[in-house]
Amino acid sequence: MSPTRRRTTRVLPIALALLGGAPQILRAQQETPAEIVDRVDRLLRGESSRGRVTMEIVTEHWSRTLEMQISSLGTEYALIRILSPRKDAGTATLKAGEEIWNYLPRVDRTIKLPSSLMGSSWMGSHFTNDDLVKEHRLVEDYDISIAYEGPRGGTEVWEFDLVPKPRAAVIWSRIRYRVRRQDLMPEWARFYDERDELVRTITWSDYRTTGGRLVPLAMRIQPADKPDEHTSIRYESLEFDVNLGPEDFSLRRLREGTP
Amino acid sequence: MTVVPAPWWRIGWRNVGRNRRRSLFTIGGLALAYCAVVLMTGLSRGMIAEMIGNGTGILSGQLQVHAVDYLPERSVHETVGGQDGTDVGALLATLEEDPAVEAAAPRVYGGGLVSAGDNTVATELIGIEPARERRVAAITRTGLEGRLPRSGENELWIGREMARQLAAGVGDEVVVVAPAADGSLGNDLFTVSGIFSSGLAELDARLAFLPIDALQRLIVLEPGRIHEVAMRVADPWRAPAAEARLAGRLESRFPDARVRAWTEFQPEMVDYAALFESVEWVIVLVVFVMAVFGVANTMLMATFERRREFALLLALGVTPSGILRSVLWEAVALGGVSLASGALLTFPLLAWWHRAPPDMSWLYGGFTMAGGLVRPVLRVEYPPGMMVVAALALFGTAVIAALVPAVRAGRVPPADTLQGR
Repeated sequence: MSPTRRRTTRVLPIALALLGGAPQILRAQQETPAEIVDRVDRLLRGESSRGRVTMEIVTEHWSRTLEMQISSLGTEYALIRILSPRKDAGTATLKAGEEIWNYLPRVDRTIKLPSSLMGSSWMGSHFTNDDLVKEHRLVEDYDISIAYEGPRGGTEVWEFDLVPKPRAAVIWSRIRYRVRRQDLMPEWARFYDERDELVRTITWSDYRTTGGRLVPLAMRIQPADKPDEHTSIRYESLEFDVNLGPEDFSLRRLREGTP
Repeated sequence: MTVVPAPWWRIGWRNVGRNRRRSLFTIGGLALAYCAVVLMTGLSRGMIAEMIGNGTGILSGQLQVHAVDYLPERSVHETVGGQDGTDVGALLATLEEDPAVEAAAPRVYGGGLVSAGDNTVATELIGIEPARERRVAAITRTGLEGRLPRSGENELWIGREMARQLAAGVGDEVVVVAPAADGSLGNDLFTVSGIFSSGLAELDARLAFLPIDALQRLIVLEPGRIHEVAMRVADPWRAPAAEARLAGRLESRFPDARVRAWTEFQPEMVDYAALFESVEWVIVLVVFVMAVFGVANTMLMATFERRREFALLLALGVTPSGILRSVLWEAVALGGVSLASGALLTFPLLAWWHRAPPDMSWLYGGFTMAGGLVRPVLRVEYPPGMMVVAALALFGTAVIAALVPAVRAGRVPPADTLQGR
């Protein structure tokens, strides 16, 4: 880092503080990049949540819209139950730690997903099963550094570079993640493979205060090699810090119905 | 009595019998060299035939038809005839019209899960028409227990390793889950109808066969939609020619169907065959170079012993080229007798070996080469080309080895030699 740059980074937060601006930024400056990313995660997640989501999947061969209910508790548990279309209604996915279980109402069976299928698609969407398991483990699996900070399109942002830790079992070789400084809202994340080619982009939008928190209500995942395909999800409703415990994320609950 | 100069070949032929013991040793050596080369080549051809026969016969067949865009992605949507499917019966009939094609079997593929109790494994689901598949894929004959799935039934035929991982046996109920072509998650209950053991661990762990109609229902494909037709061609090396014929025949009626021979979809086997063939040439070279020295030694001895005789002939007016020719003819005669003995020794042995390949399972088990199983038998195939090449090499060896002794025999100084100097 050049001497000039170093001085700027020291001076800038002080100047901003003197202007009375954003104590959040000042605080963030003292945090490591990993801590910031972790805080973004916590903001988005809450301790527990329950929401209703519409997922639109567009592929070359078919398009469909799924309605589902999603509940989560911490980073460990999530339960997703499909409400419509009728053919898949009742199908449910339970994430408990590193494991994924599916409930299939047609045959009335629960199936544990073998680890070899973690990288494959969830319900035909562009999300992988791994996304369900690993999405909130960024800080644990990646070394995080700031690749850029400053204005982008009139908004002050951070762009983080996430590189897998030496022994992390992840499939991405790099993630570039842009977060708005003012409110810690994520704008997009770009996922790169081992040849450092872009594989997919996740874009967040429609930031609104719901359940007492500012969150992006829409999210779109775009595979880089198939520009005509995408999966979009949209929260129709979302509550935070609802009354849920680990017992609500059992195999029995997976079969019986949404907590 | 009129002295008619005997033709040189007759003199050469008689000279073979001058020192019978030495000639017999030379003949024996050359005959054995011929036998060794032909048998080794036969063995190597046998191993290639074993590899290719089993490698293509177990599942893939020697010819395959797919939609033009099916490979390499193997997308479930890329069925022959596109979204509308095709007239499978007519396609099979067209393919079976080719004289090389002995049987054709339609297939549907899907990736999915098989689950029994608490155990779940990822699997490649193969939808088959059991009656047709029996004539194409040898894996259908590797059943350990139970039987092939029956058309119209929700039955599954799984490998031994998968059965172990699932802790499931014949008659047990399993759940099969597979992403369907319409984006939904196909799932249904199946009964294990049988368990197979192909000898290839990977296949036994990964493959699950079910009736083609059951898989089409599961992954929401119309009955006319298939991913592959696999065909059996008895002699794998006839497949590329059949491919060319079928390509022309399919073009008008099934424009998006692409036919491929195993040489295209299993090119590593072609490479192996080429590697083995080059090794055969090295063997021929080594064996006959060794033989050259053996024969040369014999001929040098034979001509050295006859120096006085050559000197006398030269003194009587025989030209040096006549001497040279008599020695070369002697070598040719030697070669001819060697070849005849070699053939007499080799052919019965080869035929016997070809018919009753010795079982070597006491020494080593089966192994896989380029994905093809090689059984522990010493299989021998006839190498017609190499039989001729080895025969020519044997003759060549005899003549080349005799060149130097022959030239030297023609240059014997008559006066000095006759004086004993």
